[in-house]
Amino acid sequence: MKQKESLIYLYCVTKRKPDRVVIDALTGSISAPGEVREGMPRPFVDEVQEKIYPIYSQGLYAIVTMVSPIEFGEEGLKNNLANMKWVEKNVRRHEMVVENIMENMTVLPFKFGTIFKTEDGVKKMLAERGADFKKTIAFLEGKGEWGVKIYCDFKKFAASAIKEDKETKDLDEEISASGKGKAYLLKKKQDELIKSVVTQKVSGYTRDSFERLKRTSLEAKINKTLPKEVTEKDEDMVLNAAFLIDKNRVKAFDDVLERLKTEYSDKGLVFEGSGPWPPYNFCLPKIYDRRRMHERVT
Amino acid sequence: MDDIFLESKDVTLLEILDRVLDKGVIISGDIVISLADVDLIYAGLRVLLSSVETMERLRGAPFASPMQEPG
Repeated sequence: MKQKESLIYLYCVTKRKPDRVVIDALTGSISAPGEVREGMPRPFVDEVQEKIYPIYSQGLYAIVTMVSPIEFGEEGLKNNLANMKWVEKNVRRHEMVVENIMENMTVLPFKFGTIFKTEDGVKKMLAERGADFKKTIAFLEGKGEWGVKIYCDFKKFAASAIKEDKETKDLDEEISASGKGKAYLLKKKQDELIKSVVTQKVSGYTRDSFERLKRTSLEAKINKTLPKEVTEKDEDMVLNAAFLIDKNRVKAFDDVLERLKTEYSDKGLVFEGSGPWPPYNFCLPKIYDRRRMHERVT
Repeated sequence: MDDIFLESKDVTLLEILDRVLDKGVIISGDIVISLADVDLIYAGLRVLLSSVETMERLRGAPFASPMQEPG
């Protein structure tokens, strides 16, 4: 058995067979010399030809590539995940493959690092989950995922919030009219007040933005916000949302986003939209979620 | 393509990680990445970014990109 040598890495599942030209082009771009960057620690060079190909079963195509067990086996993978350069190369590859397939058809993207020991394992998985996958793909047909992240410059925001808030303004006058000790306490009270006003306003504006974007979508999801250490931004992330948008509604979605940007820019909110993405956030549509749980019970 | 790219899709590593690490179809394959592994990757990203920042500072170049003009 040849397959014993290598592992099977799964990118995505489709209902239609991807064009051979697309697949060949992907394989070419992946194994093209020069792709491997300098400074990559060993073991890195693949011993297996990284050919991308579809595995057919149950009316579905699993888009896979063979990977080296040294690199992607349990032990090797663990080591490689601690190497950011390796991670970057491989997550970008994962995304690139799925995006290329997505240009011509609806895809069901899999989580990074879904690996099988054999092709039979992939087929078995398709047999077990195929019915769900087909329904999900049918549901996702003609739709795309869009991301919106909102960042807040809290300093700018506080400055504009103070101007609008009567209570803080009144405290200003009281502070300047008070003696040192009292002024100190009042200043402290004012700081607390500003903090709570800012928090309240930011969450209000964020919710408003989310709800308005949501109205143009079929499904919407709020994800964890990410810390500054990884966003490389001066502003704090206050919303990390994903929207499933019908292809015919992308313009409407974009219009809302543009309007929000204009409305909230002077308040210190920064909007970042991106897409279309493979539907990573909508692989388990709500409508099937409930039914599946029910099935399990009965 | 009839899709409009809202922003240039010069995608940051973070945008990709934010999607591919713990979203997408999650099944019990033969080998999978655990939640602990995901944390490990984010920790790695943090170290990577902070080391880039330190390098840029040492070179005297401003690391922080200019604040994006919204709208």
